[in-house]
Amino acid sequence: MLGPRIDGRNGVSLRTPTIEDHRREADWMLEPEATRFWGIRTTSRRDERLDEHFKKNANSPTSIAWSIWYGEEHVGFTGIFDIDWITRDAESGIFIGRSDLYGRGIASEAVRLRTAFAWQELGLRRVHNWIELRNRGSRRANEKGGYQQMGRYPKSHFRSGQWHDEWLGEVFAPGQGIPGDG
Amino acid sequence: MLGGTVRGSTVRLRLPTVDDLPSYQRWSADMRVRAGGPVGLIGEPAMQATWKERLIEWEKEKETVVWSIGAESSLIGMAAVRFSGAPAADTIDISRFVIDPERWRSGYGWDAALTLHRWIFDVCHLRVADIDLPADNIAGLRIATKLGYERYALGHAVHYRDGRWHDEHQLRMDLDTWDAGWGKTQREYATPLGEELAR
Repeated sequence: MLGPRIDGRNGVSLRTPTIEDHRREADWMLEPEATRFWGIRTTSRRDERLDEHFKKNANSPTSIAWSIWYGEEHVGFTGIFDIDWITRDAESGIFIGRSDLYGRGIASEAVRLRTAFAWQELGLRRVHNWIELRNRGSRRANEKGGYQQMGRYPKSHFRSGQWHDEWLGEVFAPGQGIPGDG
Repeated sequence: MLGGTVRGSTVRLRLPTVDDLPSYQRWSADMRVRAGGPVGLIGEPAMQATWKERLIEWEKEKETVVWSIGAESSLIGMAAVRFSGAPAADTIDISRFVIDPERWRSGYGWDAALTLHRWIFDVCHLRVADIDLPADNIAGLRIATKLGYERYALGHAVHYRDGRWHDEHQLRMDLDTWDAGWGKTQREYATPLGEELAR
């Protein structure tokens, strides 16, 4: 599914993605400044493939995607995916492609909007994610949005000469508590 | 992909066939199996034709390997793994692991798990194996712990059944752990090949 427009604070908004957004995001994901904590910068850049991927996301009943806008500029994307509608659990992710705009709180506001939508519109109960431990900006944005550490995955992958650990976080809807059995 | 033969002491991982599918269907509808968590969810109960389609899809999937588990000339379970981190995948998830409930408490689960991990670490020499198990899957956790798995995360209130939420243990086992605990005794081929160029 493609998410609806949600206007936030400080000029940040989540907007319904377009195919043009999707193509721009594919270009960002090839740049080293934006992908230090992401993939290995390999892709198929054919428009047909991007169109197919976009259509697949749009048709998926278990994911919701947004473009992130800062003022009148498209700067990244975020989403909720692998939604389990029975346990009302899902995974989340975020990517800011405009590295020149890092440090302005865009990700924090996007996470806040996304998380509020998960509780108030989707009726989800829990959202979890994996974030590279050294990606302090993304981790802080999610922690400000209520995510708490549930574990760490050491030596997740080796890139640019060093091993990288992953931080695993989870956040619960208000009033859900943590009624587990550990 | 479908997996070939890997022999344990009492079980054998082998190629799944269409003849196995009625048992897969029966396990998919067995609440005892489904209570095992993600590893127990082979797929939702379905018609035989759907199971055949699923088998064909498994055969096509390049990141997945599926086995049937046999013992005493019978089908007693199934297992599946998924490579993680393509294109340089060195990690594998144990995505399905089912032993027929009628064969529980016979040691087959342990032998099948040990055999599967011999394939993972001795045959494929992968770096890490992962598995997610609900906190109340006591048998699964016992086997994982005995193999050498360690918990890296605890997801709170992830699985719901019997009127309550259950946590999820996220576990991993590294190649070094396998080598230290099982590397000397659990070898696919006891004797390494010599230098054959001199022939």
